[in-house]
This record gives sequence, C-alpha cells and structure tokens, in this order.
Amino acid sequence: MITKNNFPKENNVLFNRGKFGLRITEKYDKVKCSEIYVQKTDAFEIGLEKNSIKDCNKSESCGFSVRVFDKRGSLGFAYANDISSKIIEKTINNAVKMMKVGPPNDEFKDLPFPKKSNSKVTGIYDKNIKDLEFETPFDLIKDMIKISSDDSQVVTQSGDFSSLYTYYYVFNSNGIEISSKETAASLTSSIVVKNNGKNETGNGFHWQIERKYKDLDAIKVVNKTLQMAKMNLNRIKIETMNVPLILTPKGVISLILNPIASAINADTFQYNRSFLVGKLNKKIGSDLLNIEDNGLINGAVGSSEFDAEGVPCQNKKIFENGVFLSLLHNSFTAGKDNVESTGNAQRNSFSSTPNIGSTNLYFNPGDYKTQELFEDIKIGILLDYTGDSPNLATGDFSGLILNGNIIRNGEIQESLNETMVGINILDLFNRIEKVSNKLEVYGSKNAPYVKISNVQISGSK
Amino acid sequence: MESPKPLESNLISKLTKLATKKRIEFWDIRVASSSGTLLEFTNGKNKEVSYSNIKGAGIRAFINGGWGFSVKQNISDSSIIEGLNEAIKLALFAERYSKFKFKIKEYDLIRDKYTTKLKTPLKDVDIEQKIDFALQIEKDAHDFDPRVINTNSLYTDGIINSLLINSFGSSIEQSISILRIFSIVYAKENGNLQRNFESIGGIGGYELTKKADKIGIKSAKKAIKLLSAKPVKGGKFTVIMDPKLTGVFIHEAFGHACEADLVIAKESILEEKLGEKVASENISIIDDPTPSDMALFGSYKFDDEGIAAKPVQLVENGVLKTYLHDLESASRMNVSPNGHGRASSYSSKPQARMGVTYLKEHDWKLNEMIEDTKNGVLCENWKYGYTNPATGNFQFKTRNCYKIENGEKTELMRDVGLSGLILEILNRVSAIGNKIEYSDGVCGKGGQRVRNCTGGPYLRVEDVVMGGLQ
Repeated sequence: MITKNNFPKENNVLFNRGKFGLRITEKYDKVKCSEIYVQKTDAFEIGLEKNSIKDCNKSESCGFSVRVFDKRGSLGFAYANDISSKIIEKTINNAVKMMKVGPPNDEFKDLPFPKKSNSKVTGIYDKNIKDLEFETPFDLIKDMIKISSDDSQVVTQSGDFSSLYTYYYVFNSNGIEISSKETAASLTSSIVVKNNGKNETGNGFHWQIERKYKDLDAIKVVNKTLQMAKMNLNRIKIETMNVPLILTPKGVISLILNPIASAINADTFQYNRSFLVGKLNKKIGSDLLNIEDNGLINGAVGSSEFDAEGVPCQNKKIFENGVFLSLLHNSFTAGKDNVESTGNAQRNSFSSTPNIGSTNLYFNPGDYKTQELFEDIKIGILLDYTGDSPNLATGDFSGLILNGNIIRNGEIQESLNETMVGINILDLFNRIEKVSNKLEVYGSKNAPYVKISNVQISGSK
Repeated sequence: MESPKPLESNLISKLTKLATKKRIEFWDIRVASSSGTLLEFTNGKNKEVSYSNIKGAGIRAFINGGWGFSVKQNISDSSIIEGLNEAIKLALFAERYSKFKFKIKEYDLIRDKYTTKLKTPLKDVDIEQKIDFALQIEKDAHDFDPRVINTNSLYTDGIINSLLINSFGSSIEQSISILRIFSIVYAKENGNLQRNFESIGGIGGYELTKKADKIGIKSAKKAIKLLSAKPVKGGKFTVIMDPKLTGVFIHEAFGHACEADLVIAKESILEEKLGEKVASENISIIDDPTPSDMALFGSYKFDDEGIAAKPVQLVENGVLKTYLHDLESASRMNVSPNGHGRASSYSSKPQARMGVTYLKEHDWKLNEMIEDTKNGVLCENWKYGYTNPATGNFQFKTRNCYKIENGEKTELMRDVGLSGLILEILNRVSAIGNKIEYSDGVCGKGGQRVRNCTGGPYLRVEDVVMGGLQ
C-alpha cells in the first residue's frame, strides 16, 4: 500500500481530489459505504494507411467516479471528467440522489476492506512510454512500412502504433487507499496481399502489446501478419466433412480462452447464464485442458498488484487436468457467494463500474512440437481466425472460418471460403488430443497450438 | 447542463492566424458537453443507477496528406489554442512522412443550429419515473413465465450539446437528445438455456419510451419460444430474411464495403466497381440519415465534419452508384462530400460511416414468398454479423428460423449462421418484399461506436450456406 509520503509529486492533485471526494461522501448519513476512483490517462497514436503514415493523435483525460451504497444495497454511481471541487461535490450529490431513489439490492454485502498484497508486481510501468517523444516510434513504423513495400504481393497495409499511460487511485470508506501507475504500447498490422497472376486477395493481421517500449518488435509483427495474409490465398470451397481440427494460438484464444473468460465470470455464472454452471469441481475436459489466470506475472500486460477495487490480484488455477476449479470474482459477486474476491475487478475507465475480467490467461503448454500435431492427419482443418464466438449460455459454437486452411497428409494447403465449424465447446474440451509445447502471447492471453480430434465442418461445395 | 458557448470571434481569429502562420490547410474543432442517465436492473434488483457529465474538445489540423488530432478535456480558450498548437505539430510530423499528398477541398460554409425535435424533454421527467418504467420492463419479463430465470433491463438517455467550427468558416451548434432501452431475458427448461435480446432506440425525448411499452413481454415471449427450437443442420438453402435481418445484412455485408475510406485504403472489394452491376436488377440500396421525422436512431442533420446529411443512393437497380464519403475521401476521389463523416464523440476523429441504410422495397408479400419456396428457411432477427470487406466473406447469426417445406412454414430452429460472399449473394436475390421496417443499432469501426439504423423488407436469396451444429 502506498502512503502519502511516497506518492510522486505529479499526482498529488489526483490524491488530494480523491481524498476530498471520499470525505464528502462521508458527510451523507444515508451512505453506508463509498468509493472514489480517480484516473488520469495520456494516449498517443500514429496511424498507418496504405502503407504510409497518415495521422498522429494525442489525447489526455482525467476524471473520477463515485460509488455510494446505502444499507438497502442500492448503488448510486456518477462520473465526470472534471476534478474541480465544485464538480466533485455536484457529482457526488448526483450519485447520492441516484442511490436514494434506486431499488434495493439485498445481494450487496460491502465494499472490500484493505488487504496486503502477497507479491509485488514489477515491470508494468515504463518511463520511456510516459515521456515518449512522438518522433520516437517512427523507427518502428519505418520498419513496418519497409517490409511491406519490399514485398511484391502486398496490396496495402494499415495499422498503428499506440501508447497509453494510466495513473489511478482507489479510495473507499473501509480504508482502501491504493494507486497504480501503468503503461502499455502496442503495434498492430493488417495486410492485404494479392495472388500474383490470379484475381484474388487475402488478408491477415497481427498485434503486439507490451508494458515496455523496448519490447516492441515491429519486424516480427509485420512478418507474422504477412505470413497470415499469404496463407489466406488460394481459397477453395470444400465439401462437408468430419475431420481433426487444429487451432492456432489465435484460434485457441477465440474458441477456448475468450469463451472461458466469459463463462467463469462469477456475474454471468451466478445468473445461470454460463455453459459451465453446475460443472464446478467436475472433470469436464481432456487431461490436457490446463488453464490459469495469473495477475502477478512481472511485466505482463494483464498484471497489476491490486484490482480496480483495491483487492490484491492473485494466481488461480481455472482448469487442472480437465477439472473446472475456479471462478473470477469482484467484491460484489464474492459477497453474494460468501467467498473472498479473487481480485478480478476491472474498469475500462473511470466511467464504468467495476466489472469482472481475466488478468493474464494461460492455456498451459503440452508435450508436442507444433509439427507433431499435424503429422498423422490425412485430411483436416487448420483454424486461425473466426469472427464468431460460442453461445455463452449453451456452449454451442457455429462459426465461419475467416482464416483457415485444409490440411492434407500433414501439410497445410489451400485456404478456405464459405467454410463453417460447428461444435459444442464442452465436446471440444473433451476432444483435445494434443497440445504444443510453446505458447504465443497476444496481450494478456497466452496459448499453444491445440489439436481437436473430430469436428463437424460445413462446406459449400 | 450547459451547452458549449459559441466561440468568440476574437478566439476564432486567433486560431485562424495560428493555423495560417503554420501553413495549415484545414482545421476543425468540435466542442461538446454531454450528460446522461443509465439505469440497469437485473432480476428486479439495482445493478447501476448512474448519472454522467462529460465535456471536451477534439481539434484536427491537416496539411498536405498529414493529419494531427488533439483531444483536450478543458474547453477554455487557452486550452483550445494549446490543442490546436498540438494538432498542428502532429500534422506537420505526419505530413513529413506521409507518402500520399492531397488537399482537402473547400466547400460552402454552413452556419446553422439544430435541436432534436421532441415532445417531452428528458430533464422534465423525474428519475423516479424512469426507474419505475425500467422496473416495469423487468417485472413484465420476469412474470411472463416461470421458465424465465434471469432478466436484465437497461434504460439509457442523454443530451449531447455540441459546437463545430472549421477553417471554411462553418459554425454549427447542435443539441441532440437520445434514448435507448434494452430487455435481455434468459429462459431455461430441462437444461436448455436460451437468451433473447430486444431493444428500441431513437432520437427524441421521453415520448420514445412509448415504443418500448411491452418490450419486456415481447422479449420474454421470444426467449420462451426459443426453448422449443431445435439446433439446425448445416447445408445450402433458399433463405427468406425478415426485415431486421435484411437490414443488418445490407449494413454488414454491403454497407461497410461502400465506406470510401476503406475503398481508398484498398480494403474494400467494391474498389473500382462504380458503375458496375453488383447485385440483382431489382436491388436498390440507400443511406438516408434525414428521414422525415428525424427520430430514427441513426438520423442526423449534419455529420461530424459539418456537412449536411442527405439521401445517398448507393445501388440503383443493381448498379453501384457511389460510396459513403467523409471530407478526406471526397477530396481524394474528387467528388462532393455526402455527409457521412461521423465520429463517436468529440474525442474521436470522423471516419466514413453509415447512418440509416436500407434496401428499397419491391412487390412481394411474405405469404407469396413462402408459398413460392419449396425447400428453404425463414430467418428472423439476428444476434450479430460481420464481414471481411477485403475478401467479401460474411457471416450472420440469426436468432431463429423456420423450415419451409413445399410452401409451408414448419419446424422452429435456432443457432443458425448464414454465410457467403457479398458479390455472389446479392446476385442471387429472387424476391423482394413490399414493406420496409427499421431497427436501431450501434455500429463499431476502428474502435468507434456510432448510432445506426438499418432497414429493409423481407428478402429471399437462393443458395445460402447455413452452418449448424449437426
């Protein structure tokens, strides 16, 4: 926990305003507990269009929000992007008014109480990003442009560099007083390539997000994008078939990690909206299904010492050998279940109440080299990207393969048009047959290649 | 809530001087202040009752192919001047490295004011009344059937007061009032869980809530109905889309490819297709953000670059006529801007976007279409949809569909996905209905979400790939 003495000077204003707000909420006798969240962000972006720099954007934002609860559990929430005392007072007054007229919620217990974090998380702030001169990232952009213009198949590239600096405080009437200083910088690339000699284009995309500026690797990002775009060429329509499916790390994220992140959200779970309801502590997947949510990895994009309500982040096993072990909680859902919050409260900005999200989600690696997943496949499908997501309530998935290929005799061949995959996610968990031994990182998601034994593929031929 | 005050003429002349000195060819400033209410209840309990107040300015500067954009949340004169200085610096930097040089063409200045026409101003309605209204939706949905296991209702409204000025001398003051209501219902029976989502939205005052009078019942009824729907079997079918699905299909599968910024970026399959036949002969597609009552959720009088909105005919009798333009794309393609430069708020840059996009009606009645179909499906409503504008692959999730066998509507099915290639499918339209219906939505592009409307009649298309679980 940070005491006032070691607060950096630049943020004394935020600190004082937050404390000021908390004192005001305490003046209202109907307020049972209250919380002030103050946040400052600076963002910078360079945009790329048609493989050339097109625009540069800079934005600053500073705002706060207040949550007040009465003893009926009614929540009043208000926010403003002005932290003058006049606006703070007015906004709190609005929140209290909302609280008084709002309906009760007997499921609300209390806001969290201070708890010491067990591990210090380092490497989530980089001064080089906070003090970034806007000329600096041009070196990265230059590499992105050069690789694309040197390739005769590239029709166009769009993308961007962006950086973000965030500083926030959480104060609550139970004594929580935490702050966090974080940075992130990212590169994205989206490339359209043509098939020389054929009237066909294909596309690919890739991105990298890092806490530290020096970890960005523009050459790798563009090469990965190019590889994906070229694999999207020579598209064919195929017949309907039932065959093995290999998911790339991107495919694992969209078909396994993202749905799990939503399904283990305690809020979704408690309202019976998740396909995992009734499955806690049961074995529902192959032994190779091992997933954890770890908010304490130094330097990782999803890490921080405390969550957005000031509760210490943790490392949790979600699936172990196919057994479903844990949910993600914020203080509200934890109170409802009479358990401790798992430190998964998140806010997009000061303008939202804390919802629940995963920190760094890992699909743990298996024993196989990537190539070994393909070896024994006579005919199969590789899925890299689909825009679809499963029906969260039922786990049913029926999706269009936007980037994917046919596998023949262990080799990745033509790309696919109008091809859909249909499977229930619970069946997919059971049919995990092989997992590769290396993870690829996409922001806060980490995934290997995964082979699924049998999947229904609908083609249009 | 206060509206941004018109900028004083001496501030404007200061800004002009500053831009001229730095050789800036075009600049604009959007100042906005907005306030809103959000009420969210689940199972009749308080999830969030909130009030917001946001203000700020977005300042753009342009020179010879390079754009700079600066967002300030302090809207004092000195902060706006500082913002323009930053935008200029960023534009000069972008210009130095940009490969494509072009100018922004000047157009006639507009000095105007526009205020949403409404009956009951949002501020005249007590928060208690709004809460009661939203709780009634909860109750209606919950009490509809014991199989309803979870309800979620949202009421949201807001006023956005804004001022736009630019280097052409335009000055537009607007006050827009918006309202949106959602009802999400989950129903469960024998381990089968189904979700339904209904929404209504519009531009206007509290009177818009009348449109949502029975939304909780409607939403619950559909959720219950879905319990008896069977998973669909994949294959190729004749598909009849209902107006909601037709609208979103036209928006996703075709509308996005018409956005001129994507065309310029070489990310649209409609590049170099102007004047060519892209759809069956009876197909006409229009984007008109200025419907007569201006109350549709996607309607607006001026876009976010100060261009007056008007009907834009994208496709006429199957032939592609024009694209949707913002100021930049119009300048680069040497046409007049057509009022489609839109931004989600002052803090985002305008992009070429849709407003109210619809497919024009023709002469078929729904029952004639069904009777005329041997082996097909009638698809109702949608969950989501997307398109890859570079390859033309699209996919839509419909909420439910009915089998059509020998001219008759039979079994109810769910989890239906429709997919295809844009340029192929619009050439396989075999019947167009005779009545348009509109629905509202929010469309995402480049991280920005803007309000939209889609519309169309029942539409029959041959040989559509349907994906299912079996």
